Amino acid sequence: MRPLEPTTSRQRAAYGLAFFVLFVALWSWATFGGHVSKTFLANPLTMVQEGYELLARQGFLFDIGMTIWRVIGGFALAAVIAVPIGVLMGAYKPVEAFLEPFVSFARYLPASAFIPLLILWAGIGELQKLLVIFIGAVFQIILMVAVTVGATRRDLVEAAYTLGAGDSGIIRRVLLPSAAPEIAEILRLVLGWAWTYVIVAELIGSSSGIGHMITDSQALLNTGQIIFGIIVIGLIGLISDFLFKAFNAWLFPWKLA
Amino acid sequence: MTLLRIDQVSRTFPARAGNAPTRALEPTTLDVGDNDFVTILGPSGCGKSTLLRIIAGLDRPTSGRVTLDGREVTGPGADRGMVFQSYTLFPWLTVRENIAFGLRERGATQAERHEIADAFIRRVGLSGFENHWPKQLSGGMQQRTAIARALANDPKILLLDEPFGALDNQTRALMQEMLLGIWERDQKTVLFVTHDIEEAIFLGSRVIVMSARPGRIKAEIAVDLPHPRSYKIKTTPEFVALKERLVEEIRTEALKVAEQA
Repeated sequence: MRPLEPTTSRQRAAYGLAFFVLFVALWSWATFGGHVSKTFLANPLTMVQEGYELLARQGFLFDIGMTIWRVIGGFALAAVIAVPIGVLMGAYKPVEAFLEPFVSFARYLPASAFIPLLILWAGIGELQKLLVIFIGAVFQIILMVAVTVGATRRDLVEAAYTLGAGDSGIIRRVLLPSAAPEIAEILRLVLGWAWTYVIVAELIGSSSGIGHMITDSQALLNTGQIIFGIIVIGLIGLISDFLFKAFNAWLFPWKLA
Repeated sequence: MTLLRIDQVSRTFPARAGNAPTRALEPTTLDVGDNDFVTILGPSGCGKSTLLRIIAGLDRPTSGRVTLDGREVTGPGADRGMVFQSYTLFPWLTVRENIAFGLRERGATQAERHEIADAFIRRVGLSGFENHWPKQLSGGMQQRTAIARALANDPKILLLDEPFGALDNQTRALMQEMLLGIWERDQKTVLFVTHDIEEAIFLGSRVIVMSARPGRIKAEIAVDLPHPRSYKIKTTPEFVALKERLVEEIRTEALKVAEQA
């Protein structure tokens, strides 16, 4: 190994896989070897059995579907509102001066702390779940998009002006396309956070979803199901990340050229 | 009849963080006539780029005014095409789309845009690269595209701010010939800023020499070399004599800058 020396893609895959193997091996050693009590940590085999049980007999697929819909719903709502506001803030300094202090403050309000309040306002239905994710995501997206748009290369903007572009042309044909790949990256990042919020939202006052299953399993001390639930979340996250990346690469070929 | 008139234009950058205001450009007056090729030569920090940016409308003069065909310049516009020293192609547009940027802004149809862009692509020798992204081009090719992009807009005057400054010597010489060829054929009004003496003589019909900060016009030298010029002209006695004279002019200014620093 030497600093910054590249690896082949095959080596990369092998190393990446090796970690998972090591992880499962350690887990097996701790559980099968009797080093950790069954009450606290199920072994891998039990976890798989419980997972099968969940999927086959307890309708866990419905819970997964519910959770995915909540994440995507709340996230899409946040993105649709936050991206235009962020673009306006990045493009127009007075708008930025007007909104930036509030958004910076609101960004630090913990979405999970709103859950009791949101239950009061919106009940324990779907709207409340969506709002938790919305609050967790919207301010983050606004601020990051504003920074990205504001950091557009000045010389590109000047070049566009000398080519006869007006203010709306600058926004549509320079600021937006220039910031678009970054905005897509921001959305990918925030989608990851949205998964955290949805589980927290489902832990309280919910009758479906992965988070709800996890609370139920906790009451029954079924650590196998809890771990299976967590792993499912991780897998969905991994898949959505991969899809998002592939979509971005397809959308912005000039970035890769 | 195009006439660019720079009338007593000066620029002072306001004081910042305890520093005194910086006088970048002393009141400067210059006329550029139709189809003139004027090169502005000066050491770095002489305000030559500032002057060009004011003409482009990207900067405002502290005093004085710039008029183009009698109309005062108040902001950037398509009648003054600009090529920058840094690579300013839009990375998300292909070569053809970059060149057609201004045409599209004006509402030209796709067929028109294609036709005009492809004509300029041929003119700057980039046939076969129509659909390449800027990232895939060398520095010289990027600047050729940038020149084509400015020309495709058919501006009254072309402003070039050290466009070949970042290129290696060989590429730079080829680019000069290409630009001069376009000018000799199409007759455009050109204002070209550089700190390269040879470049200033080879391209220009007149060379404006600027003094070190604060910038002002120090000398104006007519270049009476015949057109079309080939690279071979650079070794003729007339060229060398002009070069000698300009070397002296510039050297005194460069020395002043070195002493100030």
